[in-house]
Amino acid sequence: MAASQGRVNLTIAERKLFAEAAVKVVAGRVPVTIHASALAVEDTMALARHAQQIGADGILAITPYFWNPSLEEIEAYFVRLCTSIDLPVLSYNSPSYLAGVEITGDLMARLIEKLPNFVGVKEASFNSEKFLEISRAALKLRPNFSMLTGVEFLLPSVPLGGIGSYSAAGSICPNLCNGLFDSCVAGEWTRARELQFKMTRLWHLFKDQYPSSLKGGMVIMGRPVGPTRAPLPTATPERQAYIRAQLEDLGILDTEPHGW
Amino acid sequence: MSGGPQRLERTRKKMSFEPGLVHTPLTPFAADGRIDFERYGTLLDFHLRNGADALAVPMHAGESVSLPDEEKRALIRFVVARAGSRAPVIAHVSDAGTGIAAALARFAQEAGAAAIVTTTPYYWTPPPAMAVEHFAQIGAAVTIPLFVFNAPGEMAGSKINAAGALKLVERLPNFAGLVDDSLDWQFMIELLTDVAPVRPDFTLLAGSELLVSAAAIGAGGLFSALAVIAPKLVRRLFDLCRAQKLFEARTLQEDAGALRQILKPGGVASLKAAARIMGRDCGTPRAPLLALDGAAEKQLAVQLGALPALAEEPRGW
Repeated sequence: MAASQGRVNLTIAERKLFAEAAVKVVAGRVPVTIHASALAVEDTMALARHAQQIGADGILAITPYFWNPSLEEIEAYFVRLCTSIDLPVLSYNSPSYLAGVEITGDLMARLIEKLPNFVGVKEASFNSEKFLEISRAALKLRPNFSMLTGVEFLLPSVPLGGIGSYSAAGSICPNLCNGLFDSCVAGEWTRARELQFKMTRLWHLFKDQYPSSLKGGMVIMGRPVGPTRAPLPTATPERQAYIRAQLEDLGILDTEPHGW
Repeated sequence: MSGGPQRLERTRKKMSFEPGLVHTPLTPFAADGRIDFERYGTLLDFHLRNGADALAVPMHAGESVSLPDEEKRALIRFVVARAGSRAPVIAHVSDAGTGIAAALARFAQEAGAAAIVTTTPYYWTPPPAMAVEHFAQIGAAVTIPLFVFNAPGEMAGSKINAAGALKLVERLPNFAGLVDDSLDWQFMIELLTDVAPVRPDFTLLAGSELLVSAAAIGAGGLFSALAVIAPKLVRRLFDLCRAQKLFEARTLQEDAGALRQILKPGGVASLKAAARIMGRDCGTPRAPLLALDGAAEKQLAVQLGALPALAEEPRGW
């Protein structure tokens, strides 16, 4: 459950229901990680414990919102989170969305040394140096540490030890996502470049009023999931027409599944 | 005969200039603060013997902003002569004033530079339209290729965006490429998505030794300041990336990243101290930069000594 599901606009009770539904419906077909980030750290702890109770495979947690925490505060937060549950914990680094707050390579190394269940990061800086500094520090200490990128920036991250990405566009164009992943892992860089450039055009389309435009795109793909909650706007008919034209231009309507 | 076809051919040749691995040398100063041209010649020879496809001078690593105009001109003239036929020279012409930069660009072309490179104007932190106009006027002052150096981290956040680059392509036949030090994947991808279809021989170059991600995206060149410290490492990293052997390049990329992290906090002062530690003394930086003190330089020597990647690098000249 990540930003694309609008987790910041859900109550804690709703998020628990979502998590329960996800674990039940997926039923072991793939691992389920529950996004436990919340404004209040106490809520994060509660969501993490809940995820463990319901049988989730892991949790994901971003650096605390709003407070611009120092590196020491971020460290204390992850230590408390990881020692309060037995589940694997994925951290989430997103300096551009969180006013520069970030997990550095040094901090990542300290957390790995202290915490056996600190198993990976969703690294969403989209920056050559930040990704390298974390992968360089982390993979030396824990070779199976999961370096994931935010959205689908696989091409620049896989050569540096990236093993995957969180994917919002998977709800729109799963074939493109899988093709990009497969070509990166196989080192087919020419094909990977072509698919990554296409994916990035989609990302620019969806990141405008994210995730409203993503939900708008899902309507066009025959998989409507309703409006977006305030303060986010819901994609207007004009916006949807624009999204449709873009998806058509990118060939998504012809190459991706329609409906459920 | 109008000379038109020959002129067109000349232009095409200039436009297809591919810089490759570009070393960005330090500027050695003597004890009295003047440029030490004798040492500079030795340094340039070192770069040319140790893997440089081209030289870019004086970049920020060469303390360009601390060189008055006359010194910059003397330096460019000197480097073009010293490099001779061994490597093309890219002249760095950045300034705060557009007219000043354009005049230096014209001078560089007359002096025999193969291309020019420029950042956004200093101090003004220009919005995109102002940056585009600045670049357009500098580029229009010459017929040799123009490379834009995009380094928002060094330039208080001012940068060129993909839309601005596209406007420049429309205005300048000699806008040949962009040296990126934003390290921003979204920007690099957006840039090549927009510009490559309109100008197929447009070159993206990485502005520092963080090359693997940029090369995956499509960068074909590199500006390297660390080449004075680790020329073999930089050359191997570049060659693997150029051959798109990106998985194979990861270890070298990590080594280059480790070196960069050691030198980054002290900037040019650390780079000059590290060059001295490697047996290639280029003096100390000019004011306002402060040289590392003795203790800091000793600590730097210990840090560099602990890097296995430096074991194979040349010592001395």
